[in-house]
Amino acid sequence: MTLLEAAAALRRREVSSAELTAAALQRIERLNPSTNAMQTVMAEAARECAKKADEELARGEGRGPLHGIPVAVKDLFRTKGVRTTGGSNLFADHVPDYDATVVEWLRTGGAVLVSKTGMHELAYGITSSNPHFGAVRNPWDRGRIPGGSSGGSGAAVAAGMVPMAMGSDTGGSIRIPACFCGVVGLKPTYGRVSRYGAMPLAFSLDHMGPLTRTVRDAGAVLNVIAGYDPRDQTSSRRPVENYVPDIAPSIRGLRIGMPENFYFERLDPDVDAAVRAAFRAAESLGARIVALTVPDIAAINTVARLILLAEASAQLEPHLEQRDRFGADVLALLDQGRLLPATDYINAQRLRHEMQREFAALWSRVDCLFTPTTPITAPLIGETTVAAGGESEDVRLAATRLVRAINPLGLPAVSIPYGADRRGLPVGLQIVGRPFAEALILRVAQALVPGEVPVPHL
Amino acid sequence: MSTDWKKDWKKIARASGLSIPDSALERIAQSLDALEADLRPLVRALSPETEPALAFHAVVPQEAEDAE
Repeated sequence: MTLLEAAAALRRREVSSAELTAAALQRIERLNPSTNAMQTVMAEAARECAKKADEELARGEGRGPLHGIPVAVKDLFRTKGVRTTGGSNLFADHVPDYDATVVEWLRTGGAVLVSKTGMHELAYGITSSNPHFGAVRNPWDRGRIPGGSSGGSGAAVAAGMVPMAMGSDTGGSIRIPACFCGVVGLKPTYGRVSRYGAMPLAFSLDHMGPLTRTVRDAGAVLNVIAGYDPRDQTSSRRPVENYVPDIAPSIRGLRIGMPENFYFERLDPDVDAAVRAAFRAAESLGARIVALTVPDIAAINTVARLILLAEASAQLEPHLEQRDRFGADVLALLDQGRLLPATDYINAQRLRHEMQREFAALWSRVDCLFTPTTPITAPLIGETTVAAGGESEDVRLAATRLVRAINPLGLPAVSIPYGADRRGLPVGLQIVGRPFAEALILRVAQALVPGEVPVPHL
Repeated sequence: MSTDWKKDWKKIARASGLSIPDSALERIAQSLDALEADLRPLVRALSPETEPALAFHAVVPQEAEDAE
């Protein structure tokens, strides 16, 4: 059942929050041993919260579509009284005394928090093969990675444990697991959703957003978590909108950008074919496809990597003498960030400004862009290189190649499952919009994928 | 990608007082060299007027309170 279907069933009294929560906990109990999607299950607190939701709903005190719905959040969102590790050995015993804004607003909306999801260590990677808490496994093929860093959130939603799990995205960490796990992953505009209380990786690149089983569910969650938060100094005061698209929205006349450079280079042929089919589908729905040259994405990726390295190392500097408490991949990145000169970081931020201006010019020609989310489908656990378009490439660089640049630009982007490769693994379509155009990209996504995403056999 | 000069990351680490083992430095040197090589031509093309995307705004105490 999708989030909005469950919400409607709750309102009609066909099901109770206690029943939905019990079903979620049962599914977690059955499937978590083979997926490791959930890290800290909060069964007792969830049951109590569900009972309270049922009582409120019985009194007619509805708090909106999330009221009584079981959800999960990535284990970097601080949760009052519940361990929040960030996937790190450093914070294995960290029990916050406050909720992150996202968690607070989800609770205010009546959501029932059932679990914290597993993730890549410190959100600094894309495999979610965590050296301290174990590898998260992809429900479509448990020998494969779910992507990351929000891998537990992607796997949990794909496996049907919860209809929504929150993730964070610094260089693709919502969109990559959404792509590899075949679910919807929304990275809103920078400033649209508060970062307060989420353990930071890179403060100028971090974004918070939901992973769901339908596009409309993603919009419903954004309705709850979007808005100005004075505790996040980069939070936007721009008014929020209704982000839930119509069930069958029109995209007639919309201009969809088809990049002629960068985005269709070195792709798995199955990914290429699936994404090109999305253009044809959009055209058949009345959209206009506009071929165009996008700014130098490789250069933006360089700038993004440099900013990430510097900001992450600055953030974790107090802990870096405890080398044995980090996984090898994360430590290698943190070491790189410590060695980069401050001038590189400042120049990267200057370039970011210029690239933001260059990219902005694009929006006079198109309403959104379609690109593949990743050039490959989910790699095997332990694979360090992959063949993309006939060339060998580092797994992390390949997975982030088409998504990373969107973070320094702060643009909203959604990944939706669109087709599958020859092995049946999901392919992701990335839809990118101008700043604060979440409603538009969700409308386009809904037009292409109007129903619930396919379910793996489990 | 062209690398017109390379840094000695081991010396930089030692001069900065960073306790990064030589073996770790050897593994990351190539990546750092490549990243800086990619960055250098981009920086050369920057206009001197271009300021960083990070902006500092002076706020008097009363305004800060009002914002909260």
